[in-house]
Amino acid sequence: MSSVVSAAAPPRRSFWSAAWAFVRRHVLTAYSILFFIYLLLPIGVVIVFSFNNPVGRFNYTWQGFTWNNWRYWDGVPGIRDSIVLSLEIALIASLVATALGVLIALALVRYGFRGRGTTNLLIFLPLSTPEIVLGASLLTLFLNLNVAFGFWTILIAHIMFCISFAVVTVKARLIGFDRHLEEAAMDLGANEWTTFRKVTLPLIAPAILASLLLCFAISIDDFVVTYFNAGSQVTFPLFVWGAARVGTPPQVNVIGTAIFVIALAAMLFSILIQTRRGRSATA
Amino acid sequence: MTQHLTRDQLLRRGVAGASILTIPGLLAACGGTSKSSTGTGTTGHKLASTLHFSNWPYYIDTNNKKHTHPSLDEFQKKFGVHVDYTEDINDNGTFGAKIEPPLSRGQSIGRDIIVMTDNSKWPSLLVSKGWVEKLDKSALPNIKNLEPTQQHPAWDPNRDYSLPWQSGMTGIAYNDKLTGPVTSVGDLLGNSKLKGKITVLNEMGDALALVMLYNGDDITKVTDKAFNKAMSMLQKAKDSGQIRQFTGNDYGPPLARGDLSAAMSWSGDIPQLSNPHLHWNLATTGGDIWTDNMLIPKGGDAYTASVYMNYVYDPAVQALMVAGDPKRNITGIYYIPPVVGAKAEALKVNPSVANNPLIFPTKQMYANVHIFDPAALKNEKYLNEWNNLAF
Amino acid sequence: MGFLHRHKGLTPYLLLAPGVLWLGAFFLVPLGYLAYQSLQTGSLDVGYAFTWAWGNYWDAINNYSSYFIRSLEYAGIATLLTLLLSYPVAYWIAFRGGRWKNLFLLAIVAPFFVTYLIRTLAWETILADHGFVANTLRTLHLLGQNGRLLATALAVVCGITYNFLPFMALPLYVSLEQIDKRLIEAAQDLYASHFNAFLRVTLPLSLPGVVAGTLLTFIPAAGDFINAQLLGSPNNQMIGNVIQAKFIQVSDYPAAAAMSFVLMGGILIAVLIYARAVGTEQLTGSAAV
Repeated sequence: MSSVVSAAAPPRRSFWSAAWAFVRRHVLTAYSILFFIYLLLPIGVVIVFSFNNPVGRFNYTWQGFTWNNWRYWDGVPGIRDSIVLSLEIALIASLVATALGVLIALALVRYGFRGRGTTNLLIFLPLSTPEIVLGASLLTLFLNLNVAFGFWTILIAHIMFCISFAVVTVKARLIGFDRHLEEAAMDLGANEWTTFRKVTLPLIAPAILASLLLCFAISIDDFVVTYFNAGSQVTFPLFVWGAARVGTPPQVNVIGTAIFVIALAAMLFSILIQTRRGRSATA
Repeated sequence: MTQHLTRDQLLRRGVAGASILTIPGLLAACGGTSKSSTGTGTTGHKLASTLHFSNWPYYIDTNNKKHTHPSLDEFQKKFGVHVDYTEDINDNGTFGAKIEPPLSRGQSIGRDIIVMTDNSKWPSLLVSKGWVEKLDKSALPNIKNLEPTQQHPAWDPNRDYSLPWQSGMTGIAYNDKLTGPVTSVGDLLGNSKLKGKITVLNEMGDALALVMLYNGDDITKVTDKAFNKAMSMLQKAKDSGQIRQFTGNDYGPPLARGDLSAAMSWSGDIPQLSNPHLHWNLATTGGDIWTDNMLIPKGGDAYTASVYMNYVYDPAVQALMVAGDPKRNITGIYYIPPVVGAKAEALKVNPSVANNPLIFPTKQMYANVHIFDPAALKNEKYLNEWNNLAF
Repeated sequence: MGFLHRHKGLTPYLLLAPGVLWLGAFFLVPLGYLAYQSLQTGSLDVGYAFTWAWGNYWDAINNYSSYFIRSLEYAGIATLLTLLLSYPVAYWIAFRGGRWKNLFLLAIVAPFFVTYLIRTLAWETILADHGFVANTLRTLHLLGQNGRLLATALAVVCGITYNFLPFMALPLYVSLEQIDKRLIEAAQDLYASHFNAFLRVTLPLSLPGVVAGTLLTFIPAAGDFINAQLLGSPNNQMIGNVIQAKFIQVSDYPAAAAMSFVLMGGILIAVLIYARAVGTEQLTGSAAV
């Protein structure tokens, strides 16, 4: 008899407490699902409307499915130049900002020096300044130095606000870095540069990659600072802003979707790599 | 040690390299000229290889299937000049503010032709400050086709610096699915049934013209009293929530979508929307007529620009641009052409459009529209108050 | 190598130099210049003169106080909303996410790979007067027959909330994830209920994340103008719209510069009040990003 008792189910609860327990266990999950639906709703709208076949020029009600917008993605004058410009700037800005950021992060994490706190503050400040002030202040500077607005002013601005993001990203990885590995390498006869090249750099490579991706994403999406400093050059967000005034053509949705898909793929890839690394590290 | 850089050397070289990215290096590199500069102005009678043309959106003939602009393609075929066409002008104020800094410093803005409305201070400002090149009249025999009423504007009496691109009228558009005809400004700004479903244009010349005419004031000679009366009427409509937004061209989508019942609107936009439920008419008390003008900013190629303008002033070309051709899937501009003989040509190709009074207005309509006082457009006090209201 | 060994103290400065110089030249100097310009009078036509024109600041506060207040209001409400919306999800991912944590994080961040403007325009379509959402709300009598969602303060706040969600969700997640689960177990061993354990252990330990998220959301939101422009009516305009118009449309740089600093001052005051309420260690703790 005792085995039956011990194998019996826990004391019977009322229906309501069982129901309440069920709800309590799953309410968070249900909420999270709703949350993700809410997050992805506008994206869904963007993707769906990229296949819309609009009557006239305005893409706001569903008329019919077509591949045309994807085939003639550059059919709207100016759209191709704008996305090319955005990609160029994002590429260069992310490379330069990451390089500068790595140097700063190395200095901040590994050395104690006078002015460390001030440097930390300097890195933090652009992140906490409203973009409109960042853009407008650069505008006044360039105007008064008589610099022509265009590619270079946009690039300078993008590198400026990307540096802080790069520093933060790389710093996080450097803080958790095991210096013993470097010491071991030097004990084995490597000098500082070789150690840096063969030990440090590969180990912080994920952070560098993350910084590149982050800066790239931020640069390609930037509107406010670019708006103030672009002169007559048009980046993709600026193009969207102009087009929105008169009715966004579906090609804008096409490019938006394309950027989304590519970025998503890149992130999934990077997650995959990290998981593989994690597995092989513990294997 | 010979193959590997010492850390010391790396750092030194890195810092040196990075210093190129500092201000002096960059300024030296870019030398103060913009990337797409068209050069040093007129260069005699040689056609440039590219014409840089900035215009308003949907202001040129378009082949909807192939996404091309037939008139520009024809121009390229005929003259061998590629037209770099950008639709980056959305309102006069913003575009003007963008080009003012470089022009005021004598820098080129990388454009050969820009289009600005005489209903703003910009054409007269550009001419009076000498920020535009003179037209090369030797390349412009077709200038004789310019409509007589357009030949001597006050701000460019001999048409030395400008030529009209298109004209248009400002009136009221409404969506018949949501409301009965809206033809009076008082209705637009006061009818509670339309509350929160109407928009007003953010161009001072257009909005104030309609309101002042409604108040019975003369818009060709604006007085402070008339100005204040119109502004307080608009302020009241804004505060009460009657006006949903102040817009440029962007009233089009909401109007077609049903977010708006009526909108102060430009005559050509409604035919372009191709929506049978949208109608446009002049306000009963009248409206304003304005003209968008082609100008050659300083540093632009006056000869090539003038050749293009001459091409556009051929009545057959103008007719195709304005009326389009449904058989070839070409949508026209649907605004009022400034070229004599365009209507006759349009009748041959697209009679229904040619008979549209919005594109070729009747004498009666012309009698009901007036040109806004240019002095008022330059009045700093008015502009300041307007900006506080509409932006 | 010899040089560096002898001048070991120099290395950090050499490393810092390029980046710090860049920030100095293109962040600090422009800000300084903006401050200088805010005390000037004049216009693009006649030129500017430095006249200690404190009047610009006075005018900015006087004429546009409603815009400043409205901006801080909208940003504050939106920040609160992002906190309420993202906390449960951040908690769920941190505690229940398991192997899929990274994927869920990706799912939060992914929508923001679509250009900011395009996302906001999508909301314009979703919230259209005769769109699905508005019609449903009208059927449910949550919206008047003549009511609308667009061109209202609600739309603007909703837009800001949506656009700044990851800025709140990610810091929250990071700080929740770092909580030592054993502390919660200990609390439960001491007879605390689930809810009590959450209230007394998890919530306080996640405060650094809350603070970081609040700062990262509130500060940029206060200066935003895109949501107000696309989703709001003239009565919902924020100070960002005015500053933008003054710079880009009217070219009144001194007034616009003064307004920018008043905006930053307003944000600073709001942040200080917040810091007081939360406790300054949290602030500096999360500021040492």
